[in-house]
Amino acid sequence: MVAFVEVTPETICRQRGTGTTTEIEILPDLMELAQQTCGGLPMVIHGVELSIGSAHSWNDAYLRMLDSFQKSWPFVWHSEHLGFQTISGDDGATLEVGVPLPMPPTKEAAALVASRSDAILRRYGVPFLLENPAHYFSDLPTDPEIEGDIGLLHSITEGSGCRLLLDLHNLYCNAINHNFDPFKAIDRMPLDMVIEIHVAGGSWRDGFWMDAHDGRVPERVWEMLDYALPKVPHVAGVVFELLEEHAVGLGPEAIADELKHGWKIWNAHRAA
Amino acid sequence: MALIEFQTGLGQLLREQKSSDPLHGVNLDTNEKRYFETLRETAGFRFCASIQRSWCIGRAARSAYFTLSLLPDEERQALLNEWVDAGAGTRSFFDAEGESFLSFISERLTDPSHELSVCQFEQATLRASNGASFHASPDLTGLVNPERNLRRGKHAALVCLYVDPSLLLESMQTRKPLPPLSSEPIVLMFSPGLPQLCNAPSEEEIAVWEALDAPASVGTILSLNVSPKTLAGLLRQGTIEYAD
Repeated sequence: MVAFVEVTPETICRQRGTGTTTEIEILPDLMELAQQTCGGLPMVIHGVELSIGSAHSWNDAYLRMLDSFQKSWPFVWHSEHLGFQTISGDDGATLEVGVPLPMPPTKEAAALVASRSDAILRRYGVPFLLENPAHYFSDLPTDPEIEGDIGLLHSITEGSGCRLLLDLHNLYCNAINHNFDPFKAIDRMPLDMVIEIHVAGGSWRDGFWMDAHDGRVPERVWEMLDYALPKVPHVAGVVFELLEEHAVGLGPEAIADELKHGWKIWNAHRAA
Repeated sequence: MALIEFQTGLGQLLREQKSSDPLHGVNLDTNEKRYFETLRETAGFRFCASIQRSWCIGRAARSAYFTLSLLPDEERQALLNEWVDAGAGTRSFFDAEGESFLSFISERLTDPSHELSVCQFEQATLRASNGASFHASPDLTGLVNPERNLRRGKHAALVCLYVDPSLLLESMQTRKPLPPLSSEPIVLMFSPGLPQLCNAPSEEEIAVWEALDAPASVGTILSLNVSPKTLAGLLRQGTIEYAD
């Protein structure tokens, strides 16, 4: 039922130091446990700490950790979230905001992320994917040439060798919270660039549909997967995301049901 | 608006939600300032701010789980709010901030008390655990030099518990009142080089720890009738370290 595993390397790491001297260290016992758990299945990386869009600097400590990670446990591809979560403090030290934030659809943002994506491609020698984020802001600074969040994905992927991790639940969140049709949005995506797809569950909070990864995949998101799969010729896998703290509550049977549901749609389009 | 100004402005608005001047130091013209003033009033921003705050509180709460479990709800919430209001709780590797939060809590607890003991226990565990990942036994030959200075290890601690730890755990689980303080504390020594991070120290080991309240020479410590073997053991496990 599981064909490959997606690992977030930060979950087996510890951070030391503060500000400009931070290091992220892999904990050897957790690395060994993770490798044993994955049982030799192909593995891809899905990082959260890179902050690829931070104008002041990305997270060099994360990349140093990933260098060492790749030597111990090579990965088939590597993905990150398109966004930023750090800013520069008054003294130049890196400050974490505490939540991931979206990039504004501007030429400057596109150029910055495209150039950094190319650097990552050269550094690791495996495909690098960016994930379209969920966000709750309706009015980000915009350059008209970029044409919004989806235009930003086009600009980055066309301006670099970067590929796309199409997160359908993120798109679903944005469609609900910003009132657009998610199926039309799929059609506007750079679908030739999609290598991986995410599905997940969420929940309502304070009038917003939140990308909470806290339960089953909404039926509408499964419909989006069914709609998208025939249109993404290079897709190599689909991942069901669920946060650890919600896994016990959901239970193994429900998790298995979600995986079966995903396989059914995958097989309907990709089995041949 | 330049990307760096947009990110710094948005980041500061979220990090400094209680500040009267959250955009300090950001290079913005009048229109850009107006943009952020408008953004701040949107439902999307307010939602993101509430998520940020709840995540910060969640991270801080996880980093001091046992200590906070012993405190009444109101006191626990007040401590978390005060910590997060000061701009903390943003670090995704929350245990990196955990030691500071536990120090912050310990300053507000009665001494002695079970709550303070558990706080010190949790802090000592975190400190020793942080040190354990890169602990290496130092060169012990420095101990032959009586002039060589020693100090307490950066990742070591001595903690006194005033009741059997299993009774404390039971109180945490059942929310029953805490038992009275015992007059004979159970002493635990935390060191990054110990296999389980802590043990019950000998009287000689406690004497060395207390003597190193301030850095002291090898000769001074040995003059307290401490055996070289004990000193070497403490140095090897990171309870003490060279001060120079």
